[in-house]
Amino acid sequence: MSAGRLAGFVRSGAAASVAVRTAAALAAAVAVGGLALMIAGLDPVDAYRAVLDEAVGSSFGIRSSLLQALPITITALGVALAFRAGLFNLGGEGQIYAGALAAVLVALQARGLPFPVLVPLMLVFGAVAGGLWGGIAGVLRARLGLSEIITTILLNFVAFWMVSYLVRGPIQDPGGAGYPYTEKVVDGARLPVIGDTVPAGVLVLAAVAIGAWALLERSVVGVRLKDVGEGPSAAAFAGWRIDRQVILALVIAGALGGLAGAVELSGNQHRVSDFFTPGWGFDALAVALIGRGTIAGSVAAGVFFGGLRSGIDGAQTSVAVPESVGQIVQGTAVLFLIVANADVAVRWARRIRQPGHGRHHARTA
Amino acid sequence: MHALLDILTSGALYAAGIRLAVPVFLAALGELVAERGGLVNVGLEGMMLAGAFGGVLGSYLFDDPWLGVITGVVLAVVVAAIQAGVAVSLAGDQIVTGIALNIAVLGATSFMARTVWTDGNVPQVEGFDPWAVPGLSSLPGIGDVVFGQGALVYLAAALGAVLWWVLTRTDWGLRLRACGEDPRAADSLGIRVIAMRWQATLICGALAGLGGVFISLGDIFTFSDGMSGGRGFIALAIVIIARWSPSHLVPAALLFGVCEALALRAQVTSADLPYELLLALPYVLTLAVYAGLVGRTLPPAALGRPYVRR
Repeated sequence: MSAGRLAGFVRSGAAASVAVRTAAALAAAVAVGGLALMIAGLDPVDAYRAVLDEAVGSSFGIRSSLLQALPITITALGVALAFRAGLFNLGGEGQIYAGALAAVLVALQARGLPFPVLVPLMLVFGAVAGGLWGGIAGVLRARLGLSEIITTILLNFVAFWMVSYLVRGPIQDPGGAGYPYTEKVVDGARLPVIGDTVPAGVLVLAAVAIGAWALLERSVVGVRLKDVGEGPSAAAFAGWRIDRQVILALVIAGALGGLAGAVELSGNQHRVSDFFTPGWGFDALAVALIGRGTIAGSVAAGVFFGGLRSGIDGAQTSVAVPESVGQIVQGTAVLFLIVANADVAVRWARRIRQPGHGRHHARTA
Repeated sequence: MHALLDILTSGALYAAGIRLAVPVFLAALGELVAERGGLVNVGLEGMMLAGAFGGVLGSYLFDDPWLGVITGVVLAVVVAAIQAGVAVSLAGDQIVTGIALNIAVLGATSFMARTVWTDGNVPQVEGFDPWAVPGLSSLPGIGDVVFGQGALVYLAAALGAVLWWVLTRTDWGLRLRACGEDPRAADSLGIRVIAMRWQATLICGALAGLGGVFISLGDIFTFSDGMSGGRGFIALAIVIIARWSPSHLVPAALLFGVCEALALRAQVTSADLPYELLLALPYVLTLAVYAGLVGRTLPPAALGRPYVRR
């Protein structure tokens, strides 16, 4: 894995051209999703209109969309930070489980604490648990050279089966008729919804986004992470300890995944089950890639895909849009984005426009 | 403890272990071919999933498991062709391409299952029952374990032998490895690097697809969302554990298979053991072996780097 190329994928071209290419890739992916809907016998325009209506057509819809967007986007910001350091965090699912588990344990143990103490405590413990879980992959990468692409995925399954065991055994809801979940946390452990529309978790997201931006663009830590992302030689030349940056990047990524799990637990589901995340960790991965590892891009893409997930969910009753359309759109959007940014593709296009001159523009790979 | 000993000494454990090792072995074999050519194929999981879905689809539509095999392999090769088009021809980032394909295939197979079968109620289809090799299966001790398997197990073993020979003993294998070590030099010697990497990627897709078919048609004869269950990533780890050597893939895959078989058996025989923790075991073991055996590994020098002709 050469990390230098990664940076090339992250920032190629001027801001305007990046926005245009991303929008084009998203539009193409939405069209592929529409094609799938047609194959399923639906009118794609009607179906998408129903999805849009469910996602943003009412204050309930907006609230649901934001609730979906929160875990995806908070996790995605962690994925984005790791991505800038040249690392792929495929472990969002496991980190979300780790964070939710820690948060629910805090809430069940300290249920008497007042809201202003309990909720921050849950969020902190969630972030710490996620950070530790992500840190395992960081240490394995930094000390033994194990690919984080493989270890983070394997750790997802370990986290899932551990939670699955716990919610069927030690921390199962005693009054839950045998369902695989914990009891619900007390009111004092719940993040409220402001004015019926805006979940309070949005404030957490805003703080995380500003913090992540400041870390990346205004701190020496950000400089180090990005240097590592430019490639080991660049970081070594600057004098950074690469192993420490690698561990730090995956700890931060894991912490944000864990925080996302805690926010979701406190602000929405109120209990942990072994169907707690419907795949937000992978949504977050696609979102961070589509956002090209930038904070603003990840937030924008996260809100978009949160809305899409919520809209599809809401439309189930009226138009029955399969949930998986969201994943099809995400995956193809990333593919189109790669194509739109591939040097080779750009050169091909140039060669077609200016026959005979293409070769002069060829950049060294 | 006594129960565990009983399980460990039963031939049925190792018979199941071989069966469960086969999908991972086939996918790892494919990955090895791709990586020897310089392409790291993170989309392996998606290709396995496409194969698992295609196997059930084909067997359902044509009422013949062998046509399921063909359907599954074809679907996986289509996924591999996208990987090759984006990551080889367009020199896009190999890892990002693979990640994107995994997500898209997870969505697409789930979507198609709901489109073909209303409400996603995937039926039971014709699969591969064990077939005892005449004569050999009655050998005392190992007869039943090794020679009482489904037809795809023998096919996997044969493919392993063939690919070992192709990679290490043929001109094509030598050229492929050149593309993985130093594509620029290979190109200057007249080897068509892009074409070689396309071939390797498609072979990888076919093998991963066959492995995927085996997950669905070799065991439970139906499809469920995401049923590849991370085996593509376990196969990625196994290639590294086996240090890019086809023959080393066998013990690495068998270790995983026996461990998974152990988890499944213990679940049935010892109700007091929490089965969820047993099911986490294959993943923990893969991590542990990966961490313990990684040592000094030498990946192909140009692994992961797209080749752009100048």
